[in-house]
Amino acid sequence: MSTDIQIAIVGSAGDGTIAAGDILRRAMAEMGYRVISFDLYPAEIRGFGKCIARLRVTDEQAYSLKPRSDVLVSLDDSHAIPHVSEAREWGAVIYESGSVTPLAEGAHISAHIDPGQIPYHVPIRELSEKSTGSARSRNIVVLGYIAGLFRLSIDGFLRALNSKFKGKADIAQKNEAALRAGYEEGARWFRLDDIDFGPPPAKGAGATVEMISGNAAVVRGALDAGIDNFFGYPITPATSIMERLASEMPKRGTRLVQTEDEIAAISATVGAGFAGARTATATSGPGLALMSEMLGLGIIAEVPCVVFVSQRGGPSTGLPTKTEQSDLNIAVYGGHGDAPRIVIAPTNVEGCYRCAGKAFEMAEAYQTPVILLLDLYLSNRYETVPFPAKPPFEADMNSYADTRGGNAAGFKRYALTADNVSPRTVPGQKGGMHIATGLEHNELGRPNDQPDNHAAMSRKRHEKLQLALKHPDFTHTKRFGDEGKVEVGVIAWGSTFGEALEAMILARAEGIRCAAMKVVMIAPFPTEAVAAFMADCGDVLIPEVNYQGQFAGILQAHIPRPVTRLARVPCEPMEVGDILAEIRRLAGRTTEQQAA
Amino acid sequence: MGDIRPVYLEEKLKEVEDSGRLGYRSKALPTWCPGCGYFSIVDAVATALCDQGVPNEDAVVVSGIGCSSRFPFFLNTYGMHTLHGRALPVATGVKTANPALTVVAVGGDGDGFAIGGGHIPHAARRNLDITYLLFDNGIYGLTKGQTSPTSATGFKTTTSPYENPDRPINPLLLLLSYGATWVGQSYAGKPEHLRKMVAEAMAHRGFSYLHIVSPCVTFDKTHRTYANMGMKVRDLPADHDPSDKLAALREAMNDATPALGLYYREDRPTLDDALDGVVKRAGASPAVRKPRR
Repeated sequence: MSTDIQIAIVGSAGDGTIAAGDILRRAMAEMGYRVISFDLYPAEIRGFGKCIARLRVTDEQAYSLKPRSDVLVSLDDSHAIPHVSEAREWGAVIYESGSVTPLAEGAHISAHIDPGQIPYHVPIRELSEKSTGSARSRNIVVLGYIAGLFRLSIDGFLRALNSKFKGKADIAQKNEAALRAGYEEGARWFRLDDIDFGPPPAKGAGATVEMISGNAAVVRGALDAGIDNFFGYPITPATSIMERLASEMPKRGTRLVQTEDEIAAISATVGAGFAGARTATATSGPGLALMSEMLGLGIIAEVPCVVFVSQRGGPSTGLPTKTEQSDLNIAVYGGHGDAPRIVIAPTNVEGCYRCAGKAFEMAEAYQTPVILLLDLYLSNRYETVPFPAKPPFEADMNSYADTRGGNAAGFKRYALTADNVSPRTVPGQKGGMHIATGLEHNELGRPNDQPDNHAAMSRKRHEKLQLALKHPDFTHTKRFGDEGKVEVGVIAWGSTFGEALEAMILARAEGIRCAAMKVVMIAPFPTEAVAAFMADCGDVLIPEVNYQGQFAGILQAHIPRPVTRLARVPCEPMEVGDILAEIRRLAGRTTEQQAA
Repeated sequence: MGDIRPVYLEEKLKEVEDSGRLGYRSKALPTWCPGCGYFSIVDAVATALCDQGVPNEDAVVVSGIGCSSRFPFFLNTYGMHTLHGRALPVATGVKTANPALTVVAVGGDGDGFAIGGGHIPHAARRNLDITYLLFDNGIYGLTKGQTSPTSATGFKTTTSPYENPDRPINPLLLLLSYGATWVGQSYAGKPEHLRKMVAEAMAHRGFSYLHIVSPCVTFDKTHRTYANMGMKVRDLPADHDPSDKLAALREAMNDATPALGLYYREDRPTLDDALDGVVKRAGASPAVRKPRR
C-alpha cells in the first residue's frame, strides 16, 4: 500500500510544537519516506501565539500539503479546537486526556470532535512528568505516541532526536525516556482509524535524499555552482540564505560581506560580478525595491550576478512573516528604462536547488542579472530532495575574449555579435580594459547617445535573453495531467504550483479532463510553450497569491486570451480546495456530488 | 628670482612621454570645462599608477555620477562608472572579488556626502583597501549649479536663489571619526602637492581618503574661485603628527582656512585581512581565484 499521511500538530508558542514537527519530519526522512512540511507560527519571538507544524508523508515526493490532515495533534486545546475540522473522517485526533484545572463547557477539545473522527485521549502531561520529572517533554511524548500507535520504528525517531540535540547528553537522555513512554502508551492502544503507513520506499542508488528547506536548497545550489562572493542585508524571509552562506562559504575559502543596506548589497554584487566572480545577494520585496536602480546598471553594463528574492506580503513593510506572490511585477518590470532581465521561479524545494545553480550559469552565459524568485512558503518549507552525487552545474559559462594579441584601438566589450552576447574581459586581463557604464554606450563602452546606437544596444540587451529559453538542462515550463484537449488547464508559478497540481489531480479523480502547467521562467516569457498549452484548454485558470493577478497580467501581455484569475491574499498558501472549486465551476460541475 | 628658466614644449613632451604615464591616459578627451581643477587629478592618478608600477589591467577606477565621476573614461585602466552615490559599495565588491586589484574610487561632494553619504562610514570602518578621491567643488556642476552638502552658507545657487540656508558638512571630521586609516587634504590649484598626496594615498594599505578642494570655474564665481582658495588654503603645521588623532580632529575643526597635508594615518587590518581571518577561523584557506582568460 502506498503511504500518504498528513499530520498536523497544533500548540501554543512554548509548547515545542515546531520542534516536534521538526523531529517528526526528520524521523520520517530518516526512515526513507518522502516529506513535505510547512509550519505556521506567530511573528513575535515570545508570547502565546498559535503554532502549527504540518507534514505530509508519502513514498513519492508530494508537491503540496493536502487540504485535510489524517492526524491532528493538540498540544493546546484553545488553539487546536478551530482546527479539529481539518482532520478527515476516520482520521485521528490526539489530545491531552487530563485537564489541570476545571474547564468551562466546550473548552476541551473532546467536545468538538466529530463522530466520524477517531479520538485518542492520552495522558500526555502525566507521561512526561513520570518519564522526565517535568511537563516540558509533552511534545516528545506525543511523538513517541505517534510512533507506537502507527507501529513506526522507534529507531528513526531516536536518530532524529540525536541529530537535533547533538552533543547535549542530558537532554538526549530525557528525550529518549519521554519518547519511549509515549511509544509504549501508543503501542498498547487499540486503533479504530484507517491510517496505514506502508513500508518506506527503498533507497535508490546514486542520489542521496536529504530533508531540506527551500532557502537551504538555494544555498546548496549556490555552493554547488561555486559561488565566490555574497553581499547581503538581513530581511525576512531571505535572512536564512545569508546566515547559511555565512557559515558555509568561509569553509570553502570564499567571502561574504554583510553590507550597510540593500543598495550596498546589490552594488557590491554588481562590482564583484564585473570583477569576474560568481556572486549573489538575497533579499525580499522591500530590498528588491531599493535594488532596482542598481539592477538597471547590471543590465545596461551587462554584468553577471544573481539576486535571490523571497517574497512576503506587501506593499511597504506589509506582512513580513506571511507568504505572498506579489513581487512578481517588480521582479519582472521593476526599475526605470527598458531593463530586461531573467526571472526564474522554482515551484518546489528541489527546484530551489536546481534554479539557484542554473541562475549562476545563466547570469554568466547571458551577462545579465538573474532574479530567482521565491516566497516565504517555499523558503521555509521542508521537502525531501534527492541530490545528485555530482553537482549538475557548469563551473564557468563565460564567453571570455582572447585579448592576448592586444587591442590598440580599444577592446570592444559590447561588440554587436550574431547571438547578441559579446566576448567579455575582467580586470586583471591584459588588453581588455574598458569602462562599464550606466550611460548608454557604444561597442567600446564609451558614452554614446545617438539613436542608431541606442536602438542597436537596446535590441542586443533584449534579444540575448531569448537564449535563456534554450538554456541547457533547464525546464522553463512543464505540463502535467491529461494529454491533448482538456476542459480546464491550470497555469501556476512559484510555490502555488504545488497546490494547483494537487487540485488538478483531485479534479481528474472526479472525472474532469484537466491539466496543469508550471511556468518556471517568467522572463523572458516562454510564450510558445504556454500558448501551445493554452490552445489545448477550454478554460485557463491562473491561481496565485496576490491581489492583482500579476502573473496573469504578464501572461496576457504575451498571449492576449481571456483567462480566469484566482488571485487571493490569504496570508497563507492558496488552499487546494479553492482551486479545485474553481476548476469544478469552470468545468460546469457546481458541487462535489455532481462531479462524482 | 634669478633661477627662472624657460620651459620648452618639446622638452616637456619628451619628459612626459618618457615617464610612461601617458600610457595610463585614455584617448578620450575629458568632458570638463577649461580651467577645471579636475585635470590635475587625472594627471596625479596616472602618475601614481605609473610610478607605483601598477599594470593598467590590474587597476580599476570606480566612480558614481557627476562631473568628477566621468573620471574613469579618461584613464586607460578597467573602470566602472556606476550610479549616483554608489562608487564605494561597488568598489567593495570589486576589491572583495579580487584583492590583487588596485582599486580607486572617485566622486564629487554631492555623490559622496549627499546621496552616497551612508556608504562612507562602512567603507572606512571596514578599512576597505582602496583609495577614495573626493573632488569637492562645493556645487553640483554636471546639472549646472545646484547646492551641495559642502556649499557655503549664503551661497546663491539655482536651487537656493535666496542663499543656501544650510551649513556645510565637515568631510575630514567625518572621515576621521568614521575610522578611515589615511585622511589627507589637497588642492587642485597645487598640482605638485596633489600629485604627492595622491601617490601617498594610493601607497597606503587600507582605506585612504584624500579630500581635494577644487573650484568650479563655471558655476561658482564667488566662493571657491582659484583666487579665493589660493588665499585660504594653508599647510598643516610643520609639527603636526599624523599618528595623533586628536590633533588631526583639531585641525579638521578649522575648516575656514583648509589645511593641506596628511591629517592622520594608522595601520589596521583591512577588510581583506578580516575576510581571510574568517576563512581561517572556519578551518579553511582563502580560495585561489579561478583562472580567468
